[in-house]
Amino acid sequence: MLYINKKMLAILAFFSLLAVSCKKLIEIPPNPPNQIPASQVFADSADIMSAVAGVYANMKVSAYNPSFVSGSITFNTGLTGDELNSSSTSYRNFLQNAITVDDGTIQGMWKNAYSDIYQINACLEGIAGATVISVPLKQQLRGELKVIRALYYFNLVNLWGGVPLVTGIDYTINASLPRAAVDSAYALIKSDLADARSALSPNYPSLIKARPNLYTAEALSAKVYLYRQQWDSAAYMAGQVIQSGKYSLEQDLNSVFLHGSSEAIWQLPANSTSYQTAEGASFIPYTSSTVPPLISYTAPSLPLLNSLLGAFEPGDQRKSDWVAIVKVNATNYNIAYKYKNRTAVAPTTEDYMMLRLGEQYLILAEALAQQNQLSDALTNLDQVRARAGLTGSNAVSQSDVLSAIMHERQTELFCEAGNRWYDLKRTGAIDNVLGTEKPGLWKPSAALYPIPLQEIINNNLLIQNPEY
Amino acid sequence: MQIKALCNPPSYVLLRRKDCLTKTLLVMKLTIFLLLAVMLQASARTNAQTVTYTGKSVPLTAVFSAIKEQTGYLFFYRKEDLAGTGRVTLQLRNVPLQAALEQALADQPLNFAIQGNTVFITLKPSPPSPPQLTSTESIPPPSGIHGRVMDSLGNPLGGASVAVKGKKRGTTTDARGDFELKDIDENAVLVISYTGYTSKEYKVKNSDNTNKFFVIMSRSNSPLDEVQVVAYGTNTRRFNVGSVSTVTSEDIQKQPVTNVLLALQGRVTGLDITPTSGTPGSSVQVQIRGQNTLGSTPSSSPFDQPLFIVDGVPFAPQNNSLNAALMNNLGGLNSNVPNSGFSPLNSINPADIESVSVLKDADATSIYGSQGANGVIVITTKKGKAGATSLNVRVNTGPNKATRQLQMLNTPQYLQMRRDALQNDGLVLDPTNADDSMYFPDLVVFDSTRYHNFARQFFGGTSNSTDVHASLSGGSQSTTFIVSAGYTKSVYDFPGNFADNRQTLHTGLHHSSMDHRLNIDFGSDFSYDHNNTSSAPSVAQAMLLAPNMPDLLDPEGKPVWNYKGINLSGYQMLAYLKQPFSLQSYNLNNSLRIAYQLATGLSISAGLGYSLLNTKQYSASPISTQDPNNAYSTATFDRGDFQTINIEPQVDYKRTFGKGVLSVLVGGTYKKSTSSDMQVMGSGYTDDAFLGSIEGAASITANDNSSIYKYAGVYGRLGYIYDRKYIVSLSGRRDGSSNFGPGRQFGSFGSAGLGWIFSEEKAFRKALPSISYAKISGNYGTNGSDGVAPYQFQPFWRISNMYSYPLFDGTRPYQPANLYNPSYGWASKHALNVALDLGFLHDRLLLNITGYRNRTGNQLTSYTLPSQAGFPSVVQNFSAKLQDAGLEVSITSVNVKTKNFRWSTSFNISGNRNKLLAFPGLATSPYASTYTIGKPITLTSGFRYKGVNDTTGIFEYYTGKGGVTSTPSYQQASKGGDIQPIVDVQPKYFGGLGNTISYKGLSLTLFFQFSKQIGHNYLFGVYSGGTPGGMNNLPVELTDYWKKPGDKATLQRLTTGYYGQNTLGRAATRAASYFGSSSGSYGDASYIRLKNLSLSYTLPDSYLKKVGIKSCNIYVNAQNLLTFTGYKFGDPEMKGILYTIPLQRTVTGGLSFDF
Repeated sequence: MLYINKKMLAILAFFSLLAVSCKKLIEIPPNPPNQIPASQVFADSADIMSAVAGVYANMKVSAYNPSFVSGSITFNTGLTGDELNSSSTSYRNFLQNAITVDDGTIQGMWKNAYSDIYQINACLEGIAGATVISVPLKQQLRGELKVIRALYYFNLVNLWGGVPLVTGIDYTINASLPRAAVDSAYALIKSDLADARSALSPNYPSLIKARPNLYTAEALSAKVYLYRQQWDSAAYMAGQVIQSGKYSLEQDLNSVFLHGSSEAIWQLPANSTSYQTAEGASFIPYTSSTVPPLISYTAPSLPLLNSLLGAFEPGDQRKSDWVAIVKVNATNYNIAYKYKNRTAVAPTTEDYMMLRLGEQYLILAEALAQQNQLSDALTNLDQVRARAGLTGSNAVSQSDVLSAIMHERQTELFCEAGNRWYDLKRTGAIDNVLGTEKPGLWKPSAALYPIPLQEIINNNLLIQNPEY
Repeated sequence: MQIKALCNPPSYVLLRRKDCLTKTLLVMKLTIFLLLAVMLQASARTNAQTVTYTGKSVPLTAVFSAIKEQTGYLFFYRKEDLAGTGRVTLQLRNVPLQAALEQALADQPLNFAIQGNTVFITLKPSPPSPPQLTSTESIPPPSGIHGRVMDSLGNPLGGASVAVKGKKRGTTTDARGDFELKDIDENAVLVISYTGYTSKEYKVKNSDNTNKFFVIMSRSNSPLDEVQVVAYGTNTRRFNVGSVSTVTSEDIQKQPVTNVLLALQGRVTGLDITPTSGTPGSSVQVQIRGQNTLGSTPSSSPFDQPLFIVDGVPFAPQNNSLNAALMNNLGGLNSNVPNSGFSPLNSINPADIESVSVLKDADATSIYGSQGANGVIVITTKKGKAGATSLNVRVNTGPNKATRQLQMLNTPQYLQMRRDALQNDGLVLDPTNADDSMYFPDLVVFDSTRYHNFARQFFGGTSNSTDVHASLSGGSQSTTFIVSAGYTKSVYDFPGNFADNRQTLHTGLHHSSMDHRLNIDFGSDFSYDHNNTSSAPSVAQAMLLAPNMPDLLDPEGKPVWNYKGINLSGYQMLAYLKQPFSLQSYNLNNSLRIAYQLATGLSISAGLGYSLLNTKQYSASPISTQDPNNAYSTATFDRGDFQTINIEPQVDYKRTFGKGVLSVLVGGTYKKSTSSDMQVMGSGYTDDAFLGSIEGAASITANDNSSIYKYAGVYGRLGYIYDRKYIVSLSGRRDGSSNFGPGRQFGSFGSAGLGWIFSEEKAFRKALPSISYAKISGNYGTNGSDGVAPYQFQPFWRISNMYSYPLFDGTRPYQPANLYNPSYGWASKHALNVALDLGFLHDRLLLNITGYRNRTGNQLTSYTLPSQAGFPSVVQNFSAKLQDAGLEVSITSVNVKTKNFRWSTSFNISGNRNKLLAFPGLATSPYASTYTIGKPITLTSGFRYKGVNDTTGIFEYYTGKGGVTSTPSYQQASKGGDIQPIVDVQPKYFGGLGNTISYKGLSLTLFFQFSKQIGHNYLFGVYSGGTPGGMNNLPVELTDYWKKPGDKATLQRLTTGYYGQNTLGRAATRAASYFGSSSGSYGDASYIRLKNLSLSYTLPDSYLKKVGIKSCNIYVNAQNLLTFTGYKFGDPEMKGILYTIPLQRTVTGGLSFDF
């Protein structure tokens, strides 16, 4: 028995050793090889810059999968509005203003917007507590991030109406936020922009205009005030940008969207490996010719609607420079041709235009016209017209001047970041215009996109837009 | 030299024909197609073998020699056992072997046993005076008796329990099978029992006091005593109080399947097996006793996969898809099937599997602690058998064809359907209008006289599968081995040179030391599988192509992209087929177990296991296979591995105290599992010829992923059986998992089980003598679950993928990796199991009824969040409590058993009922519209379908308030919308019925599998392929659609989907969009399927003897041969998935040889 007991003791000892070292046995490395703890990100200046770079990268993901800000807003609002046509079944619901609540594109836009906003908020929080970067740099980064967050919410509120306003990273709070009122959303946008204007300097923090400076914040502010019909503030902001002397209209229309354009206020570099911009990749079909008319095998997937083509005045050079004819056999199609590169070229020649001076002239013109400063309004309007090879506007009355400006916005800003769709909505012209363009299909409730079904299921405080 | 050695094992004498080597050569000639040559035993197997022999005072060896010469039977004995035997005088004339041996050994102290074609000679249990025993063994003290327990081959049975009948005394045999009992009455009766053997009573004789005696145990014929592999050991049905079902090689090898999981279908109660596709090598989903974990929707619930263990080692890849990394590229094969992909279990050759045990309840699985929460599937590979070296070769081949092939409309039918749709929509085509040719190319541009049967071209073919398996096995008492090699080729039945090729090598070695105290088992499985297929995004959609589609290939075989200005890229399935995808997997499973007996009943052991599965994947999109408009060549190279190291030290103790037998197991586990994957994608190749290399790429991006999991635990099990009647089983485990944050890593789990074999009670036996076995057993216990990804308790950031997120302003972008929750811990499952086992007519009819109730609380899951939280989910415990309760019945019966004829039946049926018991805060959670407290979680919500409005011809649904609408609202009914519970998709019951009838050498097995269930019907499949009337072909059976007011139709009016300004067409399209979420898309999907038919014929030995073949079997095996179902079209096993690679009907014919 003693013999066995000794062995039993040895066995017991063996197992107790095992038990004691159990904690050690299940130790794993502190982080997965391709990930680092959040605390470490904001304790290292290079990591902080990478985290912020991620915020920018999110805005343009890849030309294959248009992200929220680049590409998808252009296509989808172009289809629901009066700019783009398509024969593809995948675009049909947008084209016919019959978006369903379970539409994958809508779900994707909403989801991308909020996952990008999460990263913006994570950076804002992380940088606020960071001690490894200088105070001026912290301020600079905060300003940039606030401009970007304002841009996201500006688009969200224009596409959907009131949306949940997420400003932190705690999911226990964020997951159950209801839709805020449109006014609250704009209050957040304005306060973010005010904060950005106080934090940013006139100098760009990057070599090219990839990251916002003070004027970027002001240019976006001008747009926001215009949408809110705060004409004086809109005029002031646009005026600040125009008068800064940092920007000038590119006189050659073909240069406006090029890398380093003097008109650009904010331009995200497009350096995808295969296609260049999402717009170029989607609008331009494969072609064997380098100058229009573009000879192609097949019809472009997103040709322009005739009503847009008809909007160009005779002699408008934008119709020849920013629109291209695609020839398929004997059939001609017209496409948006602001971005002219379908595939990527190195070094990059075209970048994503986020904000540009041309729009600022039109904002200023509109804000002035609304305040009945008609001649100043026309001066600014004519800057844009002259560049397009058109004579000065002959509008006289306030309402004529305003409609001339709206018309100019249509031909200047077509297929660009949702401007036309937003204009139709904010001016109340939408039911008239689209009722004519899409008889039998248009209904006023389609001016707001549906909240994706899955979002309502996952947060039952979200209330769907009417008639979905 | 090997052959020689095998002929002459050291301590035994094997008699055979003198010319061992000559015979070997003869066999080699006969089996030249084999790589393996073996020693031949010229033997034939005939029960009616007779012996003619005359000899006067000859030694026994001479008699054996002669009998051997005449019958081919081998003799197996210890030299020393024959030392004391006398010479015999015999006169035999056509005497049957059995009688001849009885006569020859009549006056000898020897016993014999015939097993197969071998005669085992052993000493009689009480030899009158075997002097050699006392010379080799120590002389026992006069007060005790000494015995040895052996099997019929003379192998000692260590750990057998020896009890004294009527007394509270007993003991256990040591490694040599020896035991000693002191102070035994003269006429005492010993009861000796051993797992898997009929227990034996031995009456102690006077002589036993001085001499060592032998007890020869014989294997039990009762299925109750068949050895079952359970957690860390074996048991029998007789004494098991847990729920364990076993499928053996006999059933597995009748089925022409390449994945063992498919061979389990319908054979195990409570085990639900779902094939995901008819693609060779595709994934098979497995669930034991229902869903334990909540998901955001019933269809997105995490699949509760059981733990897979192969020869004691956790299978490294478990049942995860092998091509998850390149999944997107494989969309076409299984795109609309959840959890699809390629199955890692396809890398184990079913022919190498001896048994599969399915452990279902707490008693069976608690000892696996956290890993066993979803049940455990223990796969045991074949081991060598002592005896003559034998070779088995199986060769089979046969065709595969779709089980239920879809017929699609031909061109006239199709065009008529399209024109009807046009008319419904009020559209008139203008062939000169560019828009019309763009929207309606099939009507305006394509040739209306062409007809192309795409369904037949893509999925109507017949492919072939071939399987060859050779196995060599044998060995001596102390060392046995098995080596087997297999080759399997399954060809895809769609166009192209696609196949799954598998090569497997299985080896097993067992060694036992001379004193039987040291035992070593080593097993190794290696396999290489090459699955060569296409990365086509949507091959399965080929069935939907318009039948008048122009030729998709030009006369030179090049893809056509443009037909009269119409872009064909959306239809170019033939070009996409030429985008290659290949998956190569290399699987290595090694297990080593060393056990040493320290003292009687006490042994220590160590199990060491290593499981590694490497994958190499490749996919490419050559320029030549792409629309020139969007052509951009890419090639993706992917390497992945799954690795598990498992170390398990154990101590076993077994002791008999009188009538009680106590067994104790204490052990520890250390497990480390890692997986990693590295993918390199090259793009912009200048020439397709470079696609096989990354060097040809103009730009390269790479990404990798890795995961690590460590796990350590200690466990114990205590079993006590008293008087072969009362059973107690306790087990416990303390586990640590690296998946949890500090302070939450450890959890404890345990179970307690009781059993009462009341048929052992005298009163019961007297009252109901026809019941030969009756047991009632129950157990209750806990399991945990740590089934989440590692590192989720801390927030991490990751470096962004270079391909999607190139440098920004010279800086590498980062992204947040996860939402974090520092406070999640183990999920807990409480399981109760109660079973009644009955045996009738000497166990010829066995019945098992099991009831269980599992409750899983503290649900550990990826809790769904709205996108506004930044991530779709966060790992979280939540206090929802889920119950699975069910009933399982299985019956096995030998209906007829005569000399030549045998008929046996097996039947099983199970039903599981799932219920959400509690969910605090459900109403405000993302799960509010999905689950209802008190209802099954499989109760799906949607719209209540009313039917087709006979005036407008469009679908109608009931609103939440009871009204009728064609445009229901996606809100829950409780919130004023129209979503309400519609159908419970949980199978009502499922099971199998098998019958085997054999007459002489002929054997027929019919196995039916059945399921009573509601699921997506064929209409769901039709509508997910596109709204009928659009440019999608339709199944030919689909004719019952609305045509004019007043029609009562199943299907709504056709619509082209291009409604322009036409509101009717638009309304129809809109109404159709809700159909897939309505009760109209569900229906009865019950079926009875002749899953397996196996017919085999064993050739009479007389023919084979001459050519030196031991036995030969010719067989035909068929899988999925017939289906009885009300399911209109498509396969009820793949509910609602019409446009996919259908399940295959496989028929193979083959030959099996034993040499």
